[in-house]
Amino acid sequence: MLNLQDLGIGGGSLTMFALLLGLLVTGMPLAFVTILVALIFALGWFGPMVIPIVTTRIYSFITQYVFVSVPMFVLMASILDRSGIARDLFDAMKIIGGRVRGGVAVQTLVVSVILAAMSGIIGGEIVLLGLLALPQMLRLGYDRNMAIGVVCSGGALGTMIPPSIVLIIYGLSANVSIGDLFTASFVPGLLLASLYAAYVLIRVRLNPSLAPLPDEGDGMAAADRWSLMKGLIMPLLVVVFVLGSIYGGIASVTEASAIGVAGVILSTVLRGEFSWRMLWDSALQTLSTCGMIVWIGIGASALIGVYNLMGGIRFIEGLLLNVSDTPIVIVLLMMLILGVLGMFLDWVGIALLCIPIFAPIVVKLGYDPVWFGVLFSMNMQVSFLSPPFGPAAFYLKSVAPPGITLGIIFRSLVPFIGLQILALALVLAFPWIALWWKP
Amino acid sequence: METQHDGGAAPPGQPTDRLSAVIAWIGRYLCILFIVSTAVSVYEIVMRYLFNSPTVWVHETTTTLTAICFAFGGAYCLATDKHIRVVLIYDHVGPRVRRWMDIVISLVGAGVCGLMAYASWGMAWKSLFTPSGAFRIETSGSAWNPPSPALLKPFLFLILVVMTLQFLLQMWRHIRRPPGDVHHGQPGAGVYEDA
Amino acid sequence: QGKGKTYELRFQSSDTSGALAFQIARDWAERVGKMSGGRIRIEMMPVGSVVEYSETLEAVGAGILQGHVTDSSYFTGKDPAFALIANPVGAWSDPNDMLNFFNYGGGREVYNQIVNPYGVQFIGASAAAVESIASRVPIDKVADLKGLKIRAPEGLVQSTFAAAGASPVNLPQSEVFTSLDKGVIEAADATTLATNDSMGLHDIAKHPLWPGFHSLPIVDISINKAIWDEMPEDLKTILTVSVNDLARDSVSRVAMMDKKVAAKLRARGDVTIHDWPLEERQKFRQIAQSQWAKFAERSPNAQKVYQALTAYLKDQGLL
Ligand code: NA
Ligand code: NA
Repeated sequence: MLNLQDLGIGGGSLTMFALLLGLLVTGMPLAFVTILVALIFALGWFGPMVIPIVTTRIYSFITQYVFVSVPMFVLMASILDRSGIARDLFDAMKIIGGRVRGGVAVQTLVVSVILAAMSGIIGGEIVLLGLLALPQMLRLGYDRNMAIGVVCSGGALGTMIPPSIVLIIYGLSANVSIGDLFTASFVPGLLLASLYAAYVLIRVRLNPSLAPLPDEGDGMAAADRWSLMKGLIMPLLVVVFVLGSIYGGIASVTEASAIGVAGVILSTVLRGEFSWRMLWDSALQTLSTCGMIVWIGIGASALIGVYNLMGGIRFIEGLLLNVSDTPIVIVLLMMLILGVLGMFLDWVGIALLCIPIFAPIVVKLGYDPVWFGVLFSMNMQVSFLSPPFGPAAFYLKSVAPPGITLGIIFRSLVPFIGLQILALALVLAFPWIALWWKP
Repeated sequence: METQHDGGAAPPGQPTDRLSAVIAWIGRYLCILFIVSTAVSVYEIVMRYLFNSPTVWVHETTTTLTAICFAFGGAYCLATDKHIRVVLIYDHVGPRVRRWMDIVISLVGAGVCGLMAYASWGMAWKSLFTPSGAFRIETSGSAWNPPSPALLKPFLFLILVVMTLQFLLQMWRHIRRPPGDVHHGQPGAGVYEDA
Repeated sequence: QGKGKTYELRFQSSDTSGALAFQIARDWAERVGKMSGGRIRIEMMPVGSVVEYSETLEAVGAGILQGHVTDSSYFTGKDPAFALIANPVGAWSDPNDMLNFFNYGGGREVYNQIVNPYGVQFIGASAAAVESIASRVPIDKVADLKGLKIRAPEGLVQSTFAAAGASPVNLPQSEVFTSLDKGVIEAADATTLATNDSMGLHDIAKHPLWPGFHSLPIVDISINKAIWDEMPEDLKTILTVSVNDLARDSVSRVAMMDKKVAAKLRARGDVTIHDWPLEERQKFRQIAQSQWAKFAERSPNAQKVYQALTAYLKDQGLL
């Protein structure tokens, strides 16, 4: 039988990535592509006794407590989508920001920053924005590609604005204060959001057809305006509930998503839109959406277990050995490795592979590991968007309106990936953007 | 349903075999667990914050309920053709090539799920029997100590067996499908992804 | 059989790569390499690398991993005996009491009777320090535990806190920081004083309980049994003896680190370290010991552990 070990870990890594890419474009469901590659390497590298890694990791993956918040976010989104709340919210936003070209896209970014403060699991956030903001922006005549980019990059901000599971995992693996990481990532997170907003505003100024100005707002009577503005009240109350429960110490971050669902259900009751049928349909959509996004994660998790066993950690270590004596070159090389891995692997896997090696080196070179944590988190922002394995694109695809293919999504993300790399370069060049608060 | 015949294209999102129809039917009821887990989470928050008496059971209950739904979601999306695919090649070839691609993809899918079912058999067994072969139910080990591993591990095995069968039934359907049948829309139309 | 053979072994630790405990385990792996002249090469991998921490027992047994360095309380759900042998809350006031139990008090033999059927061989025990509790509120006696919302891990620890009147909350390690920060929980049984400090817990929970009194989990170093059985005697001896050295290294370095951090915390002024008086420690221990008997009833193995443990403690005048 073919022994894949003969490839060596370097050849094995290349073969693995090529296989992933090749199988991905055949039309085989994504979740099974990653599992298939994991199985091929488990069998070909070690033999049949190692296959249980795959199923053991599936079991561990689906039983993680933090994932309880994923269906809750999706449920929240489905209910908002089925009720008139989402539509009213965006109509009201149109009145406030309507006079600025691109205003609703910028408001969507503001909404994503607020969502980011509620959770750190981007699957739930992108699904929520994809169900609510994307159809509404398209309805208002926004350019499709720009709207897609805003939703994916905005939704990914969940890991830059605290609470953030990426920063927590980094803190635990690199032995760095989680509180310091939260403080340090806040400004870079806002920097990213501002770059996205500036990009949108500049593009629509150069090409007004990308975002039409609503005309109905101008001649609208004050009473109509007020009735539209009421659309903001319920969603705002839900936000106050959720953020209040997190920052008031009432609920843990995961539990707060349940408060969000309860708040949204209560809103539909108050608006007279509630029905059991609607709730049931929303739950069914939640099952379908979670089935899609969780099984993609399952495959990614299985793959990383096998890759680590193959010696992935030692391989990454070897890449850094004797490359250069210049500290900044080593840091740049680390960023490059993270970027390349980000094209093919899930962030948890990248964290497992790289942080144990990178963090001690960064400290030895005299850099602040908190700063490096922010850089890591920003690099993972890119990984959510970058093809071929771009989770943000997959999450959006799971709820996108008909006609929006993965190809369209990835093409729309290119300029936003550029902005993420720009922001990363800024924090790399000017560490005080992250560390300004340190004495 | 005008083109509905044996082995023909079903409308997107509809189960194409009886097993998948059963899975889709179960899904309609199983999804209610999401609402239940939301409700008990809110109950926990109220008990802890207002009455200062946190429950011992809510965290593990919600985790178990969502895990059941996540695992089942794999079979459900297979039944309703909702798993995400990249159709770069698929979308640009004619019906005959597509038929062959569908056959191979379902065969490989069945192989993947079959291998996983085989691997999870051991895991399921160990959750119900000690290494010496005596029956015992694996529990979570917490103060409440529910038998969640003994519930979820065999359930995962069951789902993987079902998914293997689903892929095999799909393969059988593609084999019997007329080679000229336009499956998932015309080439280049991007219809597959919209399903 | 295994003469002249080189053993490439992958061990998975239950600690994250940043933890001092992981560095200590990695240093041990390196020393084993040197002591054996390169005939044993251990790659120490951080938690979750290959399988989740709760699944390493079966992974080692199946030969997927060749060994693990872990707190075996995580396997309580497979057999309650693990809870009792890995962290008998209230039994140890000093890591040496625990190490002596495994090395000379029959602990090793009992433990191997439990893990051998899983295809796993227990090489030996290491220990860290009695863990600290991070708290937002002052806790100075058992009575202060009443109604306290405290995060506690699975096993005997959780049951003991519940029996002492606290309300244990079941949160994963990844949510300890945010929940403690925002006050969802008032206290957390996370890990040692020094590790809690490096996570930043003392910026948000300014009343740590230290030196600890409640939890001294085993650091269990085990290997796949088939590999162990075919290993030549000299390599077995190297592994066994080196684990004793690991235990010494671990206890010393963790204690030194804890003392250093305690001095730093005292100097900073806004943190108050709470050191429980002897009579309160005794009260807590009695509550814990009442839980042992309950766990002992749950499985034949747990009964065996209970008997070995109480026999050893009586023999040493510790009960
Ligand atoms: Na966040
Ligand atoms: Na990517």
